[in-house]
Amino acid sequence: MMPAPQIRLTRYSVMTLEWPKDSEPLEHWLRGQREIAPSLMQEIAIILRPSVDHKSEDIRHAVDTLGRLGVGLIGLTGDSCHRATATTLGLAWLSSNTSSVESDVGPSQIPADSAREAALVIEGPVRSGVQIYAKDRDLVVIGQVSEGAEIMADGHVHVYGRLRGRVAAGVGGQTGAEIFCVMFEPELVSIGGTYCGDEQIPSNLWSARVRVRLDTNAQTLTFTSMG
Amino acid sequence: MAIVVTVTSGKGGVGKTTSSAAIAAGLAQAGHRTVVIDFDVGLRNLDLVMGVERRVVFDFVSVISGEASLNQALIQDKRLERLSILAASQTKDKDALTEDGVGQVIEQLSDMGFEYIVCDSPAGIERGATMALYFADHAVIVTNPEVSSVRDSDRILGILQSKSKHAEEGGRVNEHLLITRYDPVRVDQGEMLSKEDVCDILAVKLIGVIPESKAVLKASNTGFPVILDAESDAGMAYSDAVARFLGEDRPLRFVTPKKQGLLSRILGGGD
Ligand SMILES: Nc1ncnc2c1ncn2[C@@H]1O[C@H](COP(=O)(O)OP(=O)(O)O)[C@@H](O)[C@H]1O
Ligand SMILES: [Mg+2]
Repeated sequence: MMPAPQIRLTRYSVMTLEWPKDSEPLEHWLRGQREIAPSLMQEIAIILRPSVDHKSEDIRHAVDTLGRLGVGLIGLTGDSCHRATATTLGLAWLSSNTSSVESDVGPSQIPADSAREAALVIEGPVRSGVQIYAKDRDLVVIGQVSEGAEIMADGHVHVYGRLRGRVAAGVGGQTGAEIFCVMFEPELVSIGGTYCGDEQIPSNLWSARVRVRLDTNAQTLTFTSMG
Repeated sequence: MAIVVTVTSGKGGVGKTTSSAAIAAGLAQAGHRTVVIDFDVGLRNLDLVMGVERRVVFDFVSVISGEASLNQALIQDKRLERLSILAASQTKDKDALTEDGVGQVIEQLSDMGFEYIVCDSPAGIERGATMALYFADHAVIVTNPEVSSVRDSDRILGILQSKSKHAEEGGRVNEHLLITRYDPVRVDQGEMLSKEDVCDILAVKLIGVIPESKAVLKASNTGFPVILDAESDAGMAYSDAVARFLGEDRPLRFVTPKKQGLLSRILGGGD
């Protein structure tokens, strides 16, 4: 029998780029972000939320910039005054209503066990220049992660070794993802798209056994000792 | 099948060619039929360090391109009967090193009865370097005790465990760390990383620490591998490293500052 096409209701994790009026120029900001986390911006679907005060021209310009920087923009959201602009630019329009509902239940949850694959287990060392991404699952690294290496997962990240590289959990926007590490000396940490560099890590937790979570209210990372 | 030992580092000028010559000569001294191949097409250094530059007629690339046979291109060392050299060409382009071509040469060398094939890798992570490491069974990672060199070594280790033949087939290349140009005085003064720091960052088994030594320059200027200078600190350190590579247990030497006698302290200098 011939398989029939199907339309199914599927929920994807996407990132929203909040773009306030009079912010730092997008191009400059994005280049900066890419420098601290080169791969985080790749293979990630993004929706742009301009402010009410942005002109259609501003948005067109921003869309060009994102395209040039290789950001996978899939649509616009925000005030309905921008809906027409989305159509002219050939982008999808996501009404604010749906996207706020989605963000409450969807991306912040890591899918239930039955829907998830087993963790990706990697034997280290993970060397400088190497990137590992555990899509839709947890990542377990046994051994060290060198400075200049990048480890990422949509789920939690566990490192049983010295972590000196960059680490990102909840890359697809799963704000409930966490990072666990037995020797914590990272260059950069990110959960659900919220980043921080090594200067923001409490000095008493450097080299320690550390657990990292995202405080969704404050949009900051919290670091605690695992003793 | 011959065992392929690739000497690599990522960074240039750290002592790969010096080490390739020393290791190949050391393996031959230990009784193993050994050939050392220069993968640095365009620069061609190994033949100078081995003192055979006047005897190069055909080279690695001419064998791959079919211009010459392996027998015509191999240069027999005059000091060690079990050692041969395959030089790099100075002119031909780097793309001449193809995976098939290199693979065939390695197979032929195996068939000829060589036990070890030592590959002297060029710097960088481009074609010459990736070809030199592709067939590796063992990799000797040459590192100087400074941050940029260690970082490059880490990177080349990543490439080794993803782009080599063994890695592609789901296996691993054996890794050995060789720290060169080590100056214990400068380490003590905090101007260089200590061997412990380097081992800690790279997490690779250490097979030797070669001191910064005037004997190295003297040896390469006169065209003989420094390991044959059995009186020199660098020569002895390389002998130890080769012995450890072959499974022997030897304590490290030349890793702490020399105690200076009263007289040399008064007169200054005294190395
Ligand atoms: N242990 C050492 N002590 C002093 N000089 C050294 C030592 N090892 C290498 N050198 C010098 O460093 C330079 C680069 O060495 P070389 O073996 O050609 O490095 P590479 O092949 O990695 O580029 C040469 O001039 C060599 O004589
Ligand atoms: Mg060289």
